[in-house]
Parts: sequence; C-alpha cells; structure tokens
Amino acid sequence: MSKAAASTTLGTTRIWDPTIRLFHWLLVALIAFSWWSGEQHDMERHRLSGYAILALLVFRVFWGFAGPRTARFSSFVRGPGAVLAYVKSLGSRKGHAADGHNPLGGWSVVAMLAVIALMVGAGLFASDVDGIESGPLATYVSFEQSETAADLHGTIFNGILALVGLHVLAVAFYLVWKRQNLVRAMITGRRASEEGETTADLRWSPVLALVGIVLAVALAWAVSKGFQFN
Amino acid sequence: MTLSKSLSLAALGMSAALVAITSTMAVAASPAATAVTTRQANFKKMGGAMKVLKDQISSGAISKAEAVAAAKTLAATGRAQAKLFPNGSGASAGVKTDALPAIWTNRAAFDGQMKAYIAQADKMVVAANTGNVDAVTAQFKAVGGTCASCHKQFRADD
Repeated sequence: MSKAAASTTLGTTRIWDPTIRLFHWLLVALIAFSWWSGEQHDMERHRLSGYAILALLVFRVFWGFAGPRTARFSSFVRGPGAVLAYVKSLGSRKGHAADGHNPLGGWSVVAMLAVIALMVGAGLFASDVDGIESGPLATYVSFEQSETAADLHGTIFNGILALVGLHVLAVAFYLVWKRQNLVRAMITGRRASEEGETTADLRWSPVLALVGIVLAVALAWAVSKGFQFN
Repeated sequence: MTLSKSLSLAALGMSAALVAITSTMAVAASPAATAVTTRQANFKKMGGAMKVLKDQISSGAISKAEAVAAAKTLAATGRAQAKLFPNGSGASAGVKTDALPAIWTNRAAFDGQMKAYIAQADKMVVAANTGNVDAVTAQFKAVGGTCASCHKQFRADD
C-alpha cells in the first residue's frame, strides 16, 4: 500500500476519501432515478430510491464529524469573512487549490444537504391525492397534511434543480476560467499539487466508516417501516 | 360635504356594490361548476377514507368499526360521483378541473370504470367486516387498482 502510494502521489495530493466520492456519485444517480421513477409513477422504486438517499444523508452527516479533515463540517463551513475574501478572489485566473471544499463551496454543500433533507422529509409524509400511495410516515399525519407534504415535495424539487444547476455551472467555471478539473478530482480523489506544496495525506478510519454505514442503513430501514415493526 | 368626503362615500358605495355582485355570482354558480366542486370535495373524502384503511394496514391491525365506516364512505361516495360528471362539466365549466375531455367523448368506458370501482368498493365493505388485515390489504389493492386505471385514462397528470 505504501509503495503504491509513493509511486502515484507524485505531483498529486489526495483530497477526497473513497466514501465521499461514492456518496457524491450515488447521490447524483439516485436523484436522477428518483426524478425518473416519480415521473413514471413507479412509487415502489421511488420510495426505495428515497430511502437510499436518506441513508446517504445520514452517512454524510455522520462523516461530517467522523470522517477525514476534508469531509468535516468544522473544516469547510467557514464564516462570512472567509467566504467574502474567497468571492473577491474568484475573478483571478490563478487557480488556488483548496484542501477540499473552498469557503463558498462549503456553503453549497450545506445548502444541498439541507434541501435534499427537506425533500426526503416531505416525501416521507406525503400522500397522493387518492390516498393509495404514500410515504411511510404519512400514517402519523392527517390526509390534508400529507397532501400538503406532497405539494412541498414537488415545490422543493425546484430548489434541488436550482442548486444542482448552480453546482454544475460552478464546476464548469473552474474548468474553463481556472483550469481546474473538479470532476476528475471527485472521481480519482486527487488533485494536482502545487509546486513545493506539502499537504498531509487524508486520514480516516474504515471502522468508523463502517459504523456510519450501519447507522445510516439501520435508520433508513426503520424510517421505511414507519417505525412500525410488525 | 367636502369633495374628499363625497369621494370616499362614492368609493364605499361602489365597493359595497362590487361585493354584492361578486357574492351573487358565487351563489349563482352554474350547475356544471357546482358539479365540479362537489365531486372534487367527494374525491377528497374518498382519499381520506383510503388513508384510514392504508394506515390500518401499515399498523398491521384492523379496527373494524373505523374500517367498515371508511369502506362505506368509499362505496357511497363512489355512487354519488358517477352522477357528478354531467355534460359541460369539463374545462368549459370555468372551474379548474383535471377531468379530461375523454370522459365525455368516451362516456361508456368512463361509466364502466365507475362501475368497476363501485363493485370493488362494495367488496371492501365485506373485507372490512372480516376485520382481517390480509383481506383488507388485498381488497385495498383491488380498489386502488380501479382508481389508478380510471385516473390514467380520464384524469390529467399533474
């Protein structure tokens, strides 16, 4: 392992651990699938997709406290001063490789997690107008409330579309203006290191990752049962 | 009387007249529009009854009295619904409706769907009376199936 690391780290530095990358691309695929299955009225699969997204969210929040430094909220959720300073530097064509999320992107992460959590939450309580198909928690609210949740579920999707659009635009901006390929970094986990740069390697615990995955799956499963285990 | 006073009096009179006119209009809604709003309220009632059954199914226990009442609502309201799609109660009724024109161009098929629903809703009353969760679950699917197939054909997808 250390031999392989030595030969491949030349000129690159690791910024994303494997679970974060898996989280990112699974989320992309599942959001697309959720949209598609929703359009097809394939509610059985739409629900499953939603539970999987819930598990991803739980894992991501857990990893935000237990993961490597680039995954931790404490490292990338920055104050207004840092964000403003970063925004002012955006016009410069000089790439300034961030060790993970930049101060502005950090807030984009928070916004996306929040909006997707709202989306899942609304879906869990939602019911269609016929009372036939519903989320597993709809049983805890009235029919009117679950219809309101369904309306919200539809409205919040626009928020997700807006944030995804902004995200893709930002990635394109970095590629064209700053000549930084963020997509490749999210696939390989590595970015080019700058001359003379010394960045510590990412450290994370596979045991903690496993704990997070078990926690996420267990919670999503309990929610999918509506907390009714009969 | 000052000018501003008479102006405000005139404005008051006019708004009173406006209120009177609009409220008469609301009262004198066309029969077609009334049919639309009545059947929409009924569908809501049916959705609520479906949810009662669905909630019992997911809890794994049937509370017989409530289930039977919900099933009876489904059957009785369904019978009322069949008469609430008079000619002209589509988009031309002036009330927002998801009812597709096919209801009136393909009336026989629509009436057939309604009959199928009522038949399944009647069986739901029987199933609810058994108090058996499996029977209710199976019949819930049968009722839901008739709802879905009719909606697919005759209701706008929103």
